[in-house]
Amino acid sequence: MKIITPFMALTTIAILSTVMLSMPAFAQENPKLSDAEVASVAVVANQIDINYGEIAQKKSKNADILKFAETMISDHKAVIAQAAALVTKLGVTPKDNAVSQKLLGDAEKTKKALRSKSGKAFDKAYIDNEVAYHKAVIAAVEGLLIPETENQELKTLLEKVVPALKTHLEHAIMVQNKLPK
Amino acid sequence: MRTSLSILKNCIYLLCSIFLLNSCASETKKHIPKIYTVEIKQMKFQPAELVVQKGDTVVWINNDIVAHDVTEESSKAWTSSLMPVGQSWSLVVTQSADYYCSIHVVMKGKLVVQ
Repeated sequence: MKIITPFMALTTIAILSTVMLSMPAFAQENPKLSDAEVASVAVVANQIDINYGEIAQKKSKNADILKFAETMISDHKAVIAQAAALVTKLGVTPKDNAVSQKLLGDAEKTKKALRSKSGKAFDKAYIDNEVAYHKAVIAAVEGLLIPETENQELKTLLEKVVPALKTHLEHAIMVQNKLPK
Repeated sequence: MRTSLSILKNCIYLLCSIFLLNSCASETKKHIPKIYTVEIKQMKFQPAELVVQKGDTVVWINNDIVAHDVTEESSKAWTSSLMPVGQSWSLVVTQSADYYCSIHVVMKGKLVVQ
């Protein structure tokens, strides 16, 4: 547990604090994030998990970890492709913002920590981070991105992504429980 | 005596005819295959459990946002292989089976042959 706690804390606190800091925006008439900024956060959040998966593919030899990483890469790529197609259709250009920058900054630290590990320690760190990351992203999508999105098509896409994220979380917990203690 | 034998023969013919007709009718009933659809949506097989008869066809259609597959769970006896978004796959059901998506292993479904 000592090994994984920093990962979980880092990612969870980072994203959830971002969500919490954005909460007052719900009470305001103008949302804190524009649709272009929501689109940017969505793409960045998906890309971060693809990057984690690619690290896992290079570092792990555990079949369950490799299978999970492959699923994360293909699913999150599919979501990015649909988001890209939608913003193109809507004529919206994803706009970099404080939330996406924070996500990227924290992800760099997590990637560095993951790369420093190997073997069973890596597998545990990777899957613990996946559990924490998906919990945090689900909270962010449901609590921040969906409520702040004005365009109905973008909102619908985000709503469709939530069941996939929840399935990923369930899958990650299953792999986590299966890893040798 | 001849009349009695003739009546008996006719009765036997009649019974045989009724039996044959009845058999044909029930055979016909058994072999009208139905087609069922299972929609893959929101990371679920909908319906998750389907009751069918042997020889019925089940069509799975992927209306989700990511690719899936449909794979028999216990011995991988059959699989759809990768089903991209919008694609469908069908199976003539011969026996009950538990199945799952081998990509998203927590997604499960069941076919029950009556």
